[in-house]
Amino acid sequence: MTDTWTAGVRHRISHLVPEGQALPDRQPAYVASWIYVFGVATLAALIVVVGSGVVLAIGGPVWWHTSGLGHFVNSVHLWSVELFFAVMVIHLWGKFWMAAWRGHRGLTWVTGVIAFVTSIGTAFTGYLSQTDFQSQWISGEAKDGINSIGIGAFFNVLNPSQMLLWHVVLLPLAVGLIAVLHIVLVRRHGVVPPLGDELDHRPSDPREGATR
Amino acid sequence: MTTVFAAGKYLSWGVVSISLTNLLIIVAMVVVFALALVLPFPRDHHDGHSDGTGS
Amino acid sequence: MTAVQAPGSVQRSGTADSHDYPTRSYDLVREFVIALAIMTALSLLLAAVFSSPDDPPITMASWAKADPADVVATATGELAGTTTSATYGAPYNHASPGQTVLHIPLQRWGGTGLTLSSADLVLQPLQGVSGDSALTTALDQWQSMSPAERTAAATAYADALAKAPGGDPSQVASGSYGPVPQLAASFLQLARSGGLEGALTSSGSFYGGDQTRAMLLLSDGAYLEDRAVAQHLGGDQWGMMNEVGNYPGQPWMWLYTFWYQVKPFSTSENADAQVWALMMALTVGLVIVPWLPGLRSIPRWVPIHRLVWRDHYRGATSSTRSAIESTTRVGR
Repeated sequence: MTDTWTAGVRHRISHLVPEGQALPDRQPAYVASWIYVFGVATLAALIVVVGSGVVLAIGGPVWWHTSGLGHFVNSVHLWSVELFFAVMVIHLWGKFWMAAWRGHRGLTWVTGVIAFVTSIGTAFTGYLSQTDFQSQWISGEAKDGINSIGIGAFFNVLNPSQMLLWHVVLLPLAVGLIAVLHIVLVRRHGVVPPLGDELDHRPSDPREGATR
Repeated sequence: MTTVFAAGKYLSWGVVSISLTNLLIIVAMVVVFALALVLPFPRDHHDGHSDGTGS
Repeated sequence: MTAVQAPGSVQRSGTADSHDYPTRSYDLVREFVIALAIMTALSLLLAAVFSSPDDPPITMASWAKADPADVVATATGELAGTTTSATYGAPYNHASPGQTVLHIPLQRWGGTGLTLSSADLVLQPLQGVSGDSALTTALDQWQSMSPAERTAAATAYADALAKAPGGDPSQVASGSYGPVPQLAASFLQLARSGGLEGALTSSGSFYGGDQTRAMLLLSDGAYLEDRAVAQHLGGDQWGMMNEVGNYPGQPWMWLYTFWYQVKPFSTSENADAQVWALMMALTVGLVIVPWLPGLRSIPRWVPIHRLVWRDHYRGATSSTRSAIESTTRVGR
């Protein structure tokens, strides 16, 4: 191996996940419950959210008020967001009750929670971008919360042009990046083994060692 | 012309007040979560189990 | 990465390695495609059946038509310096020290990066009106008055409006109000004409886009909040979770809005900052659950996981235990 930057990056990327584990076609036998589908369901819902958002972006933020197709796409965007949050929270419930942070998977849990919180922020800026009565009321109320902690001049919820760009550029990039990190971590460590398979019954501590 | 839309249906118990729609969503989530835990997951009976050396 | 072990001891600790288990065929890509198809179908179906709300925004003209007394009272309040925006503090002005949390004045520390004059929310649009000699005279008179005279006149008119039946300007008792009644009446006229938003947002710059001034004016009135409260969107109605009509709201905001419904937050002047700080702390708590003793052990005590892995515990993968024990016995 040479010491080029390229070789270094290649080495890092190829060692992100164990060999063959990026898209394995086998899983540990204990991965046999419907609770395991909610992670991929969240990803799938996110894709519908982004896809419907892309169509809305083509028409612009006021298109949906005057176009029947635009209104339908807005509805798809709203309902896919509701589905996204529903399956993501069920995924969170499942991962908590499985203590899925065990075996060096603490960062997987952390990125998951950050993805959740960032998604809430993304949805919030979406409501501010509807250019309807809701946007007026929500911005008027939210400004008090944000002003109260001193960041209202920087993050001005009464400025739809700023909020729209946070909603369609900055926050989706953040959510996407965090989701990628989260999924890479899942593939890197594998699905957490069942509780009780520990051999000396230590508490669910992420520091407890797996041999890999 | 000012258009005023009717408010939705809300249920209240003490300090708690929730829209019927939101309540249905939350109930549906709990039901789906419970079903996910109890419904049997399809088993692949033709699958040859590999040993525990990882793939 | 191997865990540290004492010489001669057996390493039999911690979470097993997921790669040490027997495996089953599992088609991730097919699972993803099915999930995508289901989510797409569900989204399209729900959209087709339930649609989404599209309540038109309140325009200044619709506000003026629905509640002209509120427009007049709001304009008067801006001139008197008594409205919410006029007494807000950072980031708009220095009129108030702002909210604190644990005695930390975060709001004030944020500075006044969006400085505006609430009186100018009324005066600047009026100054753009031409051909109204009564208005021009009133504006000239206002300019010639001292700040104390202005406040006195506007406050007196505001009090008189409050006492008039329905806040109707035409039924206000006679008194010494200076140019304020004319200014407020002309302001209502401007609102009715549909030109007020433009005057507040894009006048002088052509490209608007920042609705701060128009929104602050609207928020200073009662009409916006009245409409919102009628739709259960008010702060003390769990409004953060709600949507107009029977549409789905934001159930995930339940905990954020919960605090506003109970003491001490429901009666606190610093509620916004306090609730934010509390939710920040709880969010950090959620992030670090894996490292919180007690909390991280709850899944062990409440055996929901026994449902998830029931086949495994029943021994369907009984080769697992011996596989783990044999690999760890050699001290790997």
